[in-house]
Amino acid sequence: MIKIPASLLHQIYQHIEASYPNECCGLMIGTTDKDQNHAVHTFRTCKNLNQERARDRYLMDPLDQLRVQREFDNSPWEIVGIYHSHPDHPSRPSQTDTDAAYVGYSYVIISVLKGTVASAQSWVLNEAEKKFYEEPLVTEGDSR
Amino acid sequence: MSNVTVKIPTPLRLITGGQSEVKIEGATVGEVLRKMDAQFKGFGERVLDDGRNVKRFINVFVNEDNIRDRKELDTEVRNGDTISILPSIAGGI
Repeated sequence: MIKIPASLLHQIYQHIEASYPNECCGLMIGTTDKDQNHAVHTFRTCKNLNQERARDRYLMDPLDQLRVQREFDNSPWEIVGIYHSHPDHPSRPSQTDTDAAYVGYSYVIISVLKGTVASAQSWVLNEAEKKFYEEPLVTEGDSR
Repeated sequence: MSNVTVKIPTPLRLITGGQSEVKIEGATVGEVLRKMDAQFKGFGERVLDDGRNVKRFINVFVNEDNIRDRKELDTEVRNGDTISILPSIAGGI
């Protein structure tokens, strides 16, 4: 399961819609409990380096990854997941997503249709099967 | 020999027994990573192609520098350096 405050998810949606029709991506930062459930406390947008196929591919800038990792080095929070958009496609992982996935992260995929977010689902990789399984994405209201 | 810190990403922590960083000695990135493999079974096959190159979908940084922009695994390390191993994050429709 992954829990994301509604206000954060809304901000991620703004990043997704502003980037349309291109794919965009970012890192979700938070904590992981003993059952491998993730709680997201903040996020960082990252550059998509795939300029040639920006409408249907993303490649996160590794310097952005490094920057985010360093930012939270001495914090109880760490990178717990990755979000990216699927412009005009469902929020289900593609073969390209599966081929490039790693165990331990939540992968939140957000479908954006004609510039407006339509759905969001979160997925985790079963490494032995090399297959994604959906996990509950719980949106929490917050008082901030 | 230099004392360096290796930062371990989440997907490799099953191999390092949950450790997010490891202190280790070495003169080059290659030496450090091979020592990591000796210490943590399976580490090398996740990070190195054939012992001579870093896997295509892994980025290795020494402090702020990607070793692909330096001397790959022959990149020298100094006391206090941080080696970050980052899985390449990609996908698409």
